[in-house]
Amino acid sequence: MYRNAVLIGIIVSLTFVITGTIWLSHSDETLDRVARQIGAKESPIWNPPMPNYELPGYEGKAIISVLVGFISAVFVLGVSLIVGRALRKGTNARGRDKFC
Amino acid sequence: MHIPDGFLDYSVCAVTYAGSLLFWALSFRKARGNLTDRQVPLMATLTAMFFAVQMMNYPIIEGTTAHLLGGPIVALTLGPYAGMISMTIILMIQALFFGDGGITTLGANVWNMGVIGVFTPYLVFMAVTKIWKSEKGLLTGAFVGAFIGDVLAAMFAGLELGLSTIFPYSVLIAVTAMGIHHSVIGIGEGIVTAGVIKILQTSRPDLLQFSIIRPKMQQAAGRAGGT
Repeated sequence: MYRNAVLIGIIVSLTFVITGTIWLSHSDETLDRVARQIGAKESPIWNPPMPNYELPGYEGKAIISVLVGFISAVFVLGVSLIVGRALRKGTNARGRDKFC
Repeated sequence: MHIPDGFLDYSVCAVTYAGSLLFWALSFRKARGNLTDRQVPLMATLTAMFFAVQMMNYPIIEGTTAHLLGGPIVALTLGPYAGMISMTIILMIQALFFGDGGITTLGANVWNMGVIGVFTPYLVFMAVTKIWKSEKGLLTGAFVGAFIGDVLAAMFAGLELGLSTIFPYSVLIAVTAMGIHHSVIGIGEGIVTAGVIKILQTSRPDLLQFSIIRPKMQQAAGRAGGT
């Protein structure tokens, strides 16, 4: 179960990353549109290492974006496993009946 | 729907951070010790999957785009508390590494997508299936819950923007615009959620949180579905 679920998660995530990067990457959300119309600008207090899911210096290169997306999804999976394991502590048979 | 830094007044940021902190504390307290061995890899898989899903933008109205949230599915499979933690992991990594959503607005984004977008679908689903104990009720609950969750999350984003001075529009206009635009993606989220719940209910009902706490309803759905 454990290994299969992780494997499925990686494969499905890769599929979504490829689809999202190559075919459905154009983002112009309602909020972005309105902000542009009224001239509102973002004022970030933090410089993210990979803005807009792109590696600095490799902007617009689909294969790099797919790699960034995939590695990030695996990273998210790892973080969630660690958090999930921490939440699992002390789980017993009765735990399944609880509202979690 | 990710609100970047600079779009919300600090007072709005503070209130939404306070609300989200309250739900973080509650969720960690309720979820701790309650995730089963099966739910841990499922939580990791769904979190990674919806992180990737949120990279996909679908055209909606007037050339604008939107993405699925994933909140309804994590709520119905992991429960709302673990689901909220799952969405928080996604939103924090998006903000810290990719600048998708701000740091000062993280509380607002977690409130919209992690609290409203997770708890609403769950509560609507539970209410619908309590009244309508059949497979149709199950699918309707999943669809309606996901739809209302998405639209309500967008309307909250509109409310926060409307209350902030940077946007010259009234609260009513901001809430209405966000709600109408995201109702399209809400329909998509509803269809995907109902589809996934149907598949899991048929093949792996043990993975669904509601099947753990609603065994009678699950049996009714199983009979109705001929399983």
